[in-house]
Amino acid sequence: MKDGVVIEVEGLSRRFGHFLAVDKVSFDVKRGEIFGYLGANGAGKSTTIRMLCGLLKPSEGRAAVNGVDVAHDPEGVKRSIGYMSQKFSLYMDLTVTENLEFFGGAYGLSRRQLAVRTDEVLRAVDMIEQRDTRTGDLPGGMRQRVALASAMIHDPPILFLDEPTAGVDPEARRTFWQLIRTLAGQGTTIFVTTHYMDEAEYCHRIGLMVDGRLVALDAPEVLKRTHVPGRICRVEGSGASRALPVLGGLPGVLEAHPFGAGLHVRFDETRTGMAALQAALHDKGLDGFALTPIAPTLEDVFLAVVEAK
Amino acid sequence: MSGFITRLWALAKKEVLHMARDPQVILLALGMPLLLVVLFGYAVSFDVEDVPLAVVDQDHSPASRDFAARMDESDAFRIRFRLESEAEAEALFRADKVKAALVIPEGYARSLTRGEPTELQLLMDGADGTTARVAVGYASQMGQLETLRRVQDGLTMSMPLEPRVRTWFNPTMDSAVFVVPGLVAIILAVLSVLLAALTVAREWERGSMEQLFATPVDRLAVVLGKVLPYVALGILQFMLVLAAGAWLFDVPLRGRFVTVLLAVILFLTCSIGQGLLISMVTRNQQVATQVGAVSSILPALLLSGFLFPVENMPLILQVISRIVPARYLISVLRAVLLQGRSITDLGGPFLSLVLLAIALITLTTLKFRRRLD
Ligand SMILES: Nc1ncnc2c1ncn2[C@@H]1O[C@H](COP(=O)(O)OP(=O)(O)OP(=O)(O)O)[C@@H](O)[C@H]1O
Ligand SMILES: [Mg+2]
Repeated sequence: MKDGVVIEVEGLSRRFGHFLAVDKVSFDVKRGEIFGYLGANGAGKSTTIRMLCGLLKPSEGRAAVNGVDVAHDPEGVKRSIGYMSQKFSLYMDLTVTENLEFFGGAYGLSRRQLAVRTDEVLRAVDMIEQRDTRTGDLPGGMRQRVALASAMIHDPPILFLDEPTAGVDPEARRTFWQLIRTLAGQGTTIFVTTHYMDEAEYCHRIGLMVDGRLVALDAPEVLKRTHVPGRICRVEGSGASRALPVLGGLPGVLEAHPFGAGLHVRFDETRTGMAALQAALHDKGLDGFALTPIAPTLEDVFLAVVEAK
Repeated sequence: MSGFITRLWALAKKEVLHMARDPQVILLALGMPLLLVVLFGYAVSFDVEDVPLAVVDQDHSPASRDFAARMDESDAFRIRFRLESEAEAEALFRADKVKAALVIPEGYARSLTRGEPTELQLLMDGADGTTARVAVGYASQMGQLETLRRVQDGLTMSMPLEPRVRTWFNPTMDSAVFVVPGLVAIILAVLSVLLAALTVAREWERGSMEQLFATPVDRLAVVLGKVLPYVALGILQFMLVLAAGAWLFDVPLRGRFVTVLLAVILFLTCSIGQGLLISMVTRNQQVATQVGAVSSILPALLLSGFLFPVENMPLILQVISRIVPARYLISVLRAVLLQGRSITDLGGPFLSLVLLAIALITLTTLKFRRRLD
């Protein structure tokens, strides 16, 4: 095991019949890191996570979690990880505590350990007051937190979270990510999948999955710098569709595409600038546009990467 | 090992909580058996007052008239027709005008006075098994009484008067007493298979099975964690049916309760194993329900000896019936409840139940792969 590396993946593939769901993926995750796995529906995120959790056998390649090979000793892997599956539904007819006790029991915690840990995790996810509530009566965001609590009931050093915030309101998502960052700060390694680009900003590093392949892997800022060079500005105003061909054809403009009601224009700042763009529009009789510089988002990275392929 | 117990306990407890909080399970598991027993009870009505009787008196003697009158005086029978031939009686049977016919042969009085064995014939419509059985009981009692009376009267008689009974339409004459053990097996089989199949398929559909398999829980603990609570539920059902049977039909318990309980536990283990196996393979509630219903009802009904005695089946079905647990449960229940036999007489069926239970649990456990592929 390399220094501080707790998840090692090398050429990992998974086939379903002739279909290649995960195609020779390689990466490392260090202790205490929040590793985001990003991709559209069907990109292979869940399949990767299931292989890492010992739930699916890899077709090729190898992966070690906490130094334990997932193909040879899936049971050994399971002992040291917590997993929150994408489809995860707690038992709705059980109370919060009963759910936690069930999973604690499944992990083999003794009665005494269970009592201590139940308290600890409930405190960690701020659900002490709801401990005797029927899980089905809780709002989605709270259920998600209970699910997280039950995934960490046995105090695992690594957590695998498969789209933990899917279908939860933005407020609850923020709370949830706060929690994840706190956990990581305490040394828990977190492998999390999502298709919310804004959430990916919270990750220390992200891997971008497209059709089973890992097409980009780095810290969010580095990804932005390498895949979305130059500067971006937003163009707002009526008749944005007429502005698009004008701006797109200018020298120094790397890319222009519609975004919401306006446009996003990316340009090489050494060759042109926002004033030059404004002037070009004016020359064509297009006035009244507001140009504002914006920071590139991971959305832009994603689009750039997909386009490059 | 203590880890195993901890896990098993957690799994079983969760299952019990599910059951206790699901009104459907309670309704299905406890209401259904009662409903079935009551329905069966009144379907095989055992009201045996005033069974319509035709008398075919071919002897035309005071003695024959006397016996017929005695039948009429009893609560059980009411003479509706006086006929000359058996053939006429058959027509009345088919028209459902009578349920029984008493045939007193020519020479009845003469044989009586000579002290020779005499034969009376009682024809019964056996389609209504309970009525037939009870009515026949009455009739033979009357025959014996008649014998006693004649002995007391000082008439010498070497042989007792012996009613020969021939039953039409249902030669085995299932009475409620005989039906209840079979009913127990069918109710337990169907409900256990269905409930077990549903619970696992539901967990697959909701994704909690995947969640469970991400824990280091051993599959035997998962299987037993399902089996034990459902065995307990099945025992409750069994006691309910048995109590209802005793109360409504006077089903006796002549042997020991622990003997039947043991057979029931083994049987439940088989059925629940079967249900788990089905839902392991189908992973879908709807398919599991259908497969579960068919694979539990049909064998329990047709191959268990409940409707047709196993000995009368074609050889191939007899062979298949050897792996139908209901067959062994029914024979144990009949033997213990009705005949008061003990476990030492029942080594065969018990051994078969043990082997089937082990086989099914082993198969289910092996099939319970903790991987998703
Ligand atoms: N058990 C399976 N059998 C066959 N195909 C599968 C199986 N599991 C996944 N796939 C296929 O593999 C591909 C990747 O699936 P996966 O669930 O890993 O995607 P994902 O990135 O998690 O997508 P989502 O955002 O929808 O969860 C999909 O096309 C899916 O249909
Ligand atoms: Mg997924």
